[in-house]
Amino acid sequence: MPMPARLFEEIVLPHLDAAFNYARWLTRDHAEAEDVVQDACVRAVRFFTSLRDDDARAWLFAIVRNTWYSRVSRRSDAGEALPLDTRSADPADTSLDPEAQLLQQHAVTRVRDALEQLPADFREVLVLREIEGMSYKEIAAIVRVPIGTVMSRLARARDRLSAVLKPAALPVERMP
Amino acid sequence: MICDDVQRDLDPYVDRELAAEAAAAVREHLSTCAQCRQRLADREAVGRLVRSLPYYHAPARLRARVSGRAQQSRSVRQLAAWAAAAVLVVSVAGAISLVRSAATRGNAIVGDVVDAHVRSLMAEHLFDVRSTDQHTVKPWFLGKLDFSPPVVDLASIGFPLVGGRLEYVSGRPVAAIVYQRQKHTINVLVWPVSDETIGLKEQALRGFHVRHWARNGMSFWAVSDLNDTELTQFARALQDR
Repeated sequence: MPMPARLFEEIVLPHLDAAFNYARWLTRDHAEAEDVVQDACVRAVRFFTSLRDDDARAWLFAIVRNTWYSRVSRRSDAGEALPLDTRSADPADTSLDPEAQLLQQHAVTRVRDALEQLPADFREVLVLREIEGMSYKEIAAIVRVPIGTVMSRLARARDRLSAVLKPAALPVERMP
Repeated sequence: MICDDVQRDLDPYVDRELAAEAAAAVREHLSTCAQCRQRLADREAVGRLVRSLPYYHAPARLRARVSGRAQQSRSVRQLAAWAAAAVLVVSVAGAISLVRSAATRGNAIVGDVVDAHVRSLMAEHLFDVRSTDQHTVKPWFLGKLDFSPPVVDLASIGFPLVGGRLEYVSGRPVAAIVYQRQKHTINVLVWPVSDETIGLKEQALRGFHVRHWARNGMSFWAVSDLNDTELTQFARALQDR
């Protein structure tokens, strides 16, 4: 039984931005993230009987994650290389003066690169916690690991990130 | 408590996932240990940096494509209906029972509150009055509603007031007071009720968390995609004012 269009609009579309942001961090690639979310929406329509009423966002995130990992494993089975990252720079905040813009751009790029360099397991728990504001319980359900594992991954992710960012972190810290 | 124990608890402490007693023990240790305070500061700094990254919004063409899919599946269903009346009966009956069971699980007001929240974000009509000053937001409602909603700023505990607007819930105009928590928007819908007090109720619908309570003749509904723990913290703080 496919998901009725009305339910799709009510349940999936409100979380599309969040799903895309998560997919973008998983895949580290804009076009890839778009494909993953689109596939995930198709799957969501097909599998919506597995949805409980109160957890649409976590449910959609779990589908996005499964979609991405099944693509990765298909590709590695076929011996294909993973796509190169073709990200484009984010537009600068024009409300700042040029020097502050440069500084901000530099800071954003450095933090983003550091986060993208983290192993996928660490990167995703940090994104789900810090950017999506999810609880350990929600993250555990999406990633399908015990809560204790979520906790230890977060600890190691933060350790690594602060080690990478620390030597030159001071100018970043001064940013408002 | 020794530093090793504190290190183990530091992440759940930062994430407010620690039980009250354990959190108190960490706090006590931190007050005497500069080294652990530094570790805490590092963790909080990492969090701030990650949260300061630009959010990747879904491109418009992706939104159009997946919305198109939903439309398509609807017309395919209609087509199938014309082709085979028997299929129609089965699929429509199935769809209705699914919609109905979803509707009865949450009560009607929760659905309206979540709808109002989603509408405000998707139509980008979050504010009629945009201000972080409670003395600007509160008077704005004067003359627009037949009641005066309580408006307080909670910036001191990390939930800054950002504005307000008029909203319609269950066919009546209500006050929507808007707060921000990092990248998450919290809508608090307020309207008068008969003099009853309702303690904090936790609900969730379609991936959004809802907190409801009533006091001093006002009914409050806070809704957000913020996690359970922080939304409860927010609701309790608002209740205490």
